[in-house]
Amino acid sequence: MVFLAAQVLPGDVGRRVLGPFADQASVDALNKQLGTDRPLITQYWDWISSFVTGDLGESIRNRPVSDVLFDPMVSSGKLALLAFVIVVPLAIAGGVVAAMNEGSFRDRLISVGGLSATAIPEFVWAVFFILIFALGLGLFPTTAQFPDGSSVFTQLKYLLLPSLCLVCVLFGYIARMARAGTIEALDADYTRTAILKGLPRRTVIRRHVLRNSLLPTIAVVATQAGYLIGGLVIIEVIFNYNGIGQTLARAATQKDIPVLQSGVLLVGIVYLVATLIADILYSVLNPRVRLGAAE
Amino acid sequence: MGALSRDEIQRQVDSVRAQRSELENHVIDEYRAGYIGRREFMKRGAVVGMSLPLLSFLASACGSGEKEPSSGGSPATKADVSKGGTIRTGLQLPGSDLDPIKVNNQGALAVLSQSGEFLIFSDRELKPIPRLAESWKPNGDGSKWTFKIRQGVKFQDGKPMTAEDVAATFNLHADPDNGSNALSAFTGVLSKGGAQATDDSTVVFELDAPNGNFPFTTSSDNYNLIIQPKGSDPTKWSKTFPGTGPWKLEKYTPNVGVNYVPNPDYWDKSRQPLPSRNEIKFYEKEEAAVLGVQGGEVDVLAQFSPVNGKALLTDQNVQVIELRASQHRQMHMRTDKEPFNDKRVRQAVALLINRENIVKGLLEGKSDYGNDSPFAPVYPSTDKSVAQRKQDVEKAKALLSEAGKGNLSVELRGWNGFEMPQYAQLVQNDLKDAGIGVKLNFTDSATYYGDAVYGKSPWLDSTFGITEYGHRGVPNVFLDAPLKSDGTWNSAHFKNKDYDKLVNEYVASIDLQSQRTAAKKIQEMLLDEVPIVFAYFYFYLTATKPDIAGVDVSAMGHVDVSQAGTKA
Repeated sequence: MVFLAAQVLPGDVGRRVLGPFADQASVDALNKQLGTDRPLITQYWDWISSFVTGDLGESIRNRPVSDVLFDPMVSSGKLALLAFVIVVPLAIAGGVVAAMNEGSFRDRLISVGGLSATAIPEFVWAVFFILIFALGLGLFPTTAQFPDGSSVFTQLKYLLLPSLCLVCVLFGYIARMARAGTIEALDADYTRTAILKGLPRRTVIRRHVLRNSLLPTIAVVATQAGYLIGGLVIIEVIFNYNGIGQTLARAATQKDIPVLQSGVLLVGIVYLVATLIADILYSVLNPRVRLGAAE
Repeated sequence: MGALSRDEIQRQVDSVRAQRSELENHVIDEYRAGYIGRREFMKRGAVVGMSLPLLSFLASACGSGEKEPSSGGSPATKADVSKGGTIRTGLQLPGSDLDPIKVNNQGALAVLSQSGEFLIFSDRELKPIPRLAESWKPNGDGSKWTFKIRQGVKFQDGKPMTAEDVAATFNLHADPDNGSNALSAFTGVLSKGGAQATDDSTVVFELDAPNGNFPFTTSSDNYNLIIQPKGSDPTKWSKTFPGTGPWKLEKYTPNVGVNYVPNPDYWDKSRQPLPSRNEIKFYEKEEAAVLGVQGGEVDVLAQFSPVNGKALLTDQNVQVIELRASQHRQMHMRTDKEPFNDKRVRQAVALLINRENIVKGLLEGKSDYGNDSPFAPVYPSTDKSVAQRKQDVEKAKALLSEAGKGNLSVELRGWNGFEMPQYAQLVQNDLKDAGIGVKLNFTDSATYYGDAVYGKSPWLDSTFGITEYGHRGVPNVFLDAPLKSDGTWNSAHFKNKDYDKLVNEYVASIDLQSQRTAAKKIQEMLLDEVPIVFAYFYFYLTATKPDIAGVDVSAMGHVDVSQAGTKA
């Protein structure tokens, strides 16, 4: 599908590489060198037959596709991980606090504030954070691209602002799910029974409420994994970060089909793995799923 | 000079002139007659192969000529800077692989010229500075040029650079089978095999046709042409960045940046790098690069536009270097299609455009006015006596009425880049004054350029469109491809045999007076025919941190930080 979709993009590969003002003879010669003047079916067959043997092929920029994708994939992984580490506990805590104070000012602050933050696009957050924290206060760099050989602390400093943008965008959604799940669990019979049994409130929340309320939240978090790895084009552009989103967007505009195909596939694999992890967690937290499978 | 009598000076001048060629004497005559100023004399003299000491002597001995335009900005001088440290430069992300054959944007060409060098460097004053060529000379009609190649220069792997390497580099780019981006500049000028090393230090170029500006074709203006070792594979260039330049590759991270250290064997002792490191950071978007220089991520931003970099123009913590340049936008009108097949309609469009509004408003005054020909004010050959076209709505209305074209409606094509969408909106607004409705159709660049051949490209097929053109040290390319009858970028489909003849005459001219004579005729013809509106030629802008000095740039996009550093 990716292969066919890329063919619909206007212009040929040689023209994309050399630019509009290049001589047509140069473009033809480059297409010949790259093999992009061959029939589509031949190009596709070459790619797929190499791919099944683990060879991702060669980018139109004369580099192995695996090299082109490796660094951006690692970079995107770091950014996504930091955003996850911040937003998941924060949003769940926010959702639980809101649920436990349902109808109060605290609930409204978290719910309305979170949803408002989600409604604001990430590039607006990016500009806002850069203006305040990078240019205004000078606390953080304007870019996320940390220098070579940076320590973990320095990397965190560079990645914090883009991560905060993602936190703002995701917080409201995850907190909302956590709040709804918690309210439902708080109203459930098993919670009432646990309270009547005389269990301390903290234990009731941890063992009975959270365990049940987090089930839908986990599914939501898992669906965000693909977005966090491959969909951060705008954040990566504003913070000048060499992530996989920007790499794929660039490959699409340059018709670098080998990179595009393998990159999309990799992001798809990340998405599948995240969903699989979510399913496993789901079964760990929900005995009915485990027992149902066992039966 | 003061110690010598006037007669003695004259005798020395006569003696020098007796040994010079007809072309060189012609340049000297132009200077003595006051047709050209000192700076232009130095430049033209260098083009025809006179050495700098000789030019300096003649410039003093023969008096000064007319005042001439400056390319702007302060001339690059050896600044008083601290040695050592790191200079970080922000560049546009290379649009192609770093391969001298394919390079096609500012970021990539600026990378090539860190470790690579050209025969000649076309500086900010558009003056040819000898680099790997020590000197050059044309034959009588400029169809054959002989270059003396500098000796004692080594590539960074220690191998000596020879005339064979130079000839091989040129023939590599001139060979259509290699797909070089330099081919468009070589078409009709130099064919494969046209460069020949006649001995270890001499390369002779046999041209396809006489060309008075050929040294510029070999210069940094033709940015793909860094001299590479004979037989080296350009597709492997990004592994080691081979060249003879002042910087040596330390690390290249694609899409992120390049780190360099000084080349200890660099031949030019006066240009040995002062900083101990040179770091280049790539930026995909100009907005991020602007933030980068404001936030102190980079010391130098090689290029920014007045539209996206407006904040830099007023930022007290940033200093701006501005160079007058020939970069511009062409707004073509199809001369073979309704409604622009009537030249009165084209003239009306040109008259409706408020150039002052564009230059002072959109471009913050960082631009020269265009006069509907490629002859930018920065070119010495531009004839300044040709009257500048100004907005005249009444005259435009009269022309439209005379042509019987009332209430026209046209589509303006283009792509969403640089200031072009805003320019199109201003045009749309201006044309409304005479009842011309303009529908804007702006897409991504790939859609606009399509296959970049006639019949498969909105750029070349649209009735009305805006296209961006970068800087060139001489107007030859602008006069040829977008305007000649057989031009490959002739989006206006302008076919005029008289024009073609005039351009051939201009290109073959070696002395400035002949160039100006031909230029005037071309300017007047294009002002009347208006196949393309050239509304402005905007400046090349570079930003640096205020404590940084010694950064040298050229309007082509080259950036030299070898003599840069923190102000002492």
